[in-house]
Amino acid sequence: MGKYRKTTQIVILIGVLLLGGYAIGKALFASDDGGLPKIGEKPPEFALLGEDQEAHKLSDYEGKALVINFWGTFCPPCVIETPEFQRQYEKWTSMGKPFEIIGINLGEDSLTVRNFVQQYGLTYEMLYDKGRKIMAKYGVESFPTTFFVKPDGTIMDIFVGGMTEEDIDKRVTKLLQS
Amino acid sequence: MLSFQNTKCECGHQNPVGTVLCESCGKPLEEAEAASTAPLEMRYDGAARRSQKTNPSIIDRVWNFFSSVKIAVWLIVITLIASMIGTIFTQESAFISFDPDTYYEEKYGWIGKLYYELGFSHTYETWWFTTLIVMIATSLVVCSLDRVLPLYKALSKQQVRKHVQFLKRQRTVYEGAVVGDAEEWVAEVEQQLKRKRYKVKREGTALLAEKNRFSRWGPYINHIGLIVFLLAVLLRSVPGWAMDSYLAIREGETLQIPETNYYLKNEKFTLDYYADDELPDELKGIPRPKLYQTDAILYECTADCDDPLKEPVLEEVSQHGIIVNDPMAYGGLKIYQFGYDDTPKLAAVKPVLVDKTTGKTYGPFELSMRNPQLNYELGPYTLELHSKYLDFAMDEKGEPRTKSDEPNAPAFIFMLKGPGLAEDGEPYMYFPRQIDKEKFSQDAINGDLANRFEIKVPSMEGVTFAGTVSTLNIRTEMAMPYIWTGTAIWIFGVFLGSYWHHRRIWLRIDEGRVLLGAHTNKNFHGMRADVASVLKKTGIDVEPKSLDNGGNRA
Amino acid sequence: MNSSLLTFSSDAYLVAFFLYCLGFISYGITIAGARYTKRDPKAYMKRWGRISYVISLLGFVSHVAFFFTRWIGGGHIPTSNMYEFISFLAMMIMLAFVVVHAIYRKAVIGLFTLPLIVIIVAYSMVFPQEVQPLIPALQSYWLKIHVTTAALGEAFFAVGFATALLQLLRVVDFREKSPRARRSQRWVEIVMIVGVIMIGYLVSVFGFRAAGYEAVFVQENVTITDAGVDNTETDEVVYSLPPIFKPFNSQVQEIDSFIGLKDGVFETPHWMKGVDAARKLNTIIWSIIAGLVVYAIIRLILRKPIGAVLHPFTRGIDPDDLDEISYRTIAIGYPLFTLGALVFAMIWAYEAWSRFWGWDPKEVWALITWLYYTAYLHLRLSRGWHGEKSAWLAVIGFIVVMFTLVGVNLVLVGLHSYAGV
Repeated sequence: MGKYRKTTQIVILIGVLLLGGYAIGKALFASDDGGLPKIGEKPPEFALLGEDQEAHKLSDYEGKALVINFWGTFCPPCVIETPEFQRQYEKWTSMGKPFEIIGINLGEDSLTVRNFVQQYGLTYEMLYDKGRKIMAKYGVESFPTTFFVKPDGTIMDIFVGGMTEEDIDKRVTKLLQS
Repeated sequence: MLSFQNTKCECGHQNPVGTVLCESCGKPLEEAEAASTAPLEMRYDGAARRSQKTNPSIIDRVWNFFSSVKIAVWLIVITLIASMIGTIFTQESAFISFDPDTYYEEKYGWIGKLYYELGFSHTYETWWFTTLIVMIATSLVVCSLDRVLPLYKALSKQQVRKHVQFLKRQRTVYEGAVVGDAEEWVAEVEQQLKRKRYKVKREGTALLAEKNRFSRWGPYINHIGLIVFLLAVLLRSVPGWAMDSYLAIREGETLQIPETNYYLKNEKFTLDYYADDELPDELKGIPRPKLYQTDAILYECTADCDDPLKEPVLEEVSQHGIIVNDPMAYGGLKIYQFGYDDTPKLAAVKPVLVDKTTGKTYGPFELSMRNPQLNYELGPYTLELHSKYLDFAMDEKGEPRTKSDEPNAPAFIFMLKGPGLAEDGEPYMYFPRQIDKEKFSQDAINGDLANRFEIKVPSMEGVTFAGTVSTLNIRTEMAMPYIWTGTAIWIFGVFLGSYWHHRRIWLRIDEGRVLLGAHTNKNFHGMRADVASVLKKTGIDVEPKSLDNGGNRA
Repeated sequence: MNSSLLTFSSDAYLVAFFLYCLGFISYGITIAGARYTKRDPKAYMKRWGRISYVISLLGFVSHVAFFFTRWIGGGHIPTSNMYEFISFLAMMIMLAFVVVHAIYRKAVIGLFTLPLIVIIVAYSMVFPQEVQPLIPALQSYWLKIHVTTAALGEAFFAVGFATALLQLLRVVDFREKSPRARRSQRWVEIVMIVGVIMIGYLVSVFGFRAAGYEAVFVQENVTITDAGVDNTETDEVVYSLPPIFKPFNSQVQEIDSFIGLKDGVFETPHWMKGVDAARKLNTIIWSIIAGLVVYAIIRLILRKPIGAVLHPFTRGIDPDDLDEISYRTIAIGYPLFTLGALVFAMIWAYEAWSRFWGWDPKEVWALITWLYYTAYLHLRLSRGWHGEKSAWLAVIGFIVVMFTLVGVNLVLVGLHSYAGV
């Protein structure tokens, strides 16, 4: 046994370093933002029914700068920020930029959503997240939550809470530069 | 202490550095130890612990650190104190949703704030607590390895004839004259010991009897169990190995279990209270829950699972009445009863349209809160649903909005068309709940139209309430079999080491005098009783207590 | 529910209580008599030791009768609330005593174990005694397995504590004046005082209960809701001891007369939230005062520290025996505690709460207790801690056990809050 002693010691200490380091590292870098996807990752794929009665997939928007906004009519900051998104949408699409906004509604019925769209004259894409499945998939816990996705399909930023036009503008400008 | 040591014993055996008692004959080797007459230190049978070395390198130093029981006890004590601190205030993990930034200060003042800022509000998830556990685990591995191998070696090559000093300095010793012939007496002792289930080895008039050696492995087995347990806990962090989600399902509803291909239906939720005659007098009249049960059906999606244009095709895979101590289990999923909400919520109403001028009623029609139909034909009239608000309120600008997506205060705006009404219809606002109707003054909103028409529910039969919401906890714990394996090994080792005692008796006869020494790792009382009983049966009557050589060392 | 059976059950419990008291007195006679008797002290001790043991055993039989009749009468194992659990713990301590007695046959173990049982039985009677049908969380066979095994393990720790205390009384020299000896004397006396305070607590609770004392306070709490509306809630609390401390910002609603007391003497500081915290503080203050009064009377009569008075009676005992018994008892309890309070607890928690471990305060304290006794065993087996050091560890260990059992439910909040306190 004697001659293997050094080897045993090294093997065990390396094992401790690896496993222990992993455990401690996990505790050290535990994210406090719950299950939200990380910046730099690709957001989870989805397929949802749109206001236009068509299926929309995340992959359909590949190559475009994308804003994904989770909202509901029952959430006042969502209602307040909607016109700001509409103005941004008009601004960038009129300039011919490869840019899309997707509003993902959190489980409300079409009557409610359609009325809201008409009331605010929204022209960007509205998708129905029936049963809030995609919300759970994205780890969204409070509304509104907005994802900014670069044309290469990775997340540039995640914003939790209501946004002003300036907030949106700053980020979209950066999105389009990338 | 390690600087000088003559490791060669007088019996000719060459011992490793750090040896306390000669591996072969048991003679005390260290000068100080040899000079004393106090009972011997018998830990690990006096073998050198693996880590003791004359010239330690850095790796040796780290190794020695973790090999020390003193360090192990310190680690245990620090972990113990940290755990105590973690119970002073409620941990963050006990809340489902709250804001820890403000909670601790508001509830406990500056001390709560300090507690939160130092990270004690999530003590058991901090990096330093994990570090403590990792260090304990390391200590478990290193300590055990360093001791079990030398001990194993020492116990597997035991000499029968031990040094006189070794015998005299055991905690249980007997010295006296032999009764009759030495050989015959020893043979008789052997018989008696065998009757007590000792394994006996004899070399002439020297004898070694031993029993329950396996109990010595108990501590090491329980340490292995703890290591397996801790590794299994670490396994839980492998993606997909541990899932924990909550699903609030209303009676009759079917929801997808997030991130799985399974759907769960709440068929029926039952909440039973104890009846008064089941309760003692002191508790009569106080509601005391007897049963929470969700009759649930689990479906697996077989086709069209991700197609938003189609309904998923579901196939039933399991059915279970989930109660608090009896979860549903299927294919690695476990579904537990967690909570419920039985606040009554409107599901649908069946109102009629009343023409106040003629007194005629049209309808009833079914108005669902969640997914209402958009058009209703009622005799000559048509109702077009224009908008709906589940939890009606007015915002700052005086615009109607909904406060939540729960039907707490539902409101509907219809366009009423028909004879005597404007071509495009006239708006009519309808609050199904009487209390809301008054609160938001429905009649005033509808103005003149309110004098001509009314939408109302004629009787309570026309009202359906939504069922109770049952909250279920859905778990996957792939590491569980490993966790239970570790636990089983651990508890097996603890029992093995605690309830059986390793006992050894050495005996030699020199010039007609018996010298007997006995050792056990614990329970000296039992050891002495064994020796006294054997002696008694072979003709030597001694009081067990008189065998005690003093020195309380284990 | 079978009420005649339950009545019999309560009677049996009372009988057990008195037999335990008698057993304790008898053990006192055994030890004290052996010192003063003119005849052979060994024979005297043997005879009286046997009498005492038989009396205690009869108490145990009566206690077991209480347990099973209550089980049958109530329809579930009586370990589901504070009253039942504490009473069960006392029964397990008696069982542990029987086991240890069978091994060592030492009357002197009874001298300290029986008063401990008497105090614990009396303490159980402080809590509401009706049979409470099981709430859904407790409807599991694990209630039988987990609670009983854990309590049995803890009971051995209790006997280990009683023996260790006796060992301390034996080895601490009360005549010596060195700083080290004085420190030991002081700490032994403090343990004695804690015991007397426990008695003071029981005396005041049962005294005022017998007198039917009651004081009711109403506390108004004004909170401001998110909407900016004042929300007033009133809490009512019934004191069964005269209010030395009344709840913060509260009014007397009703108060029985006690030496002319018309209102609380002091007001609880505002940071002690809630009326129950105030009531508990009042109870603690009462116990300390009553305990200190009892202690002062004892000191006046004895004119010596309690420890110094008891010490001579222990002189005939071999301290090494006590050391071994205390250690052995804890070593017997340790696997049972591990199994009951950790392993079975994890299995049940996994069945009922979906996780085997959740850092609930009760779980953490069970772990703390386990870590504590693990340290005890390692210090003893590998670091050679014996005698006085080890005895102190056993004494402190029992305080940890009692906090886990009772303190957590009274002081901390968590999932194990079934007990009506």
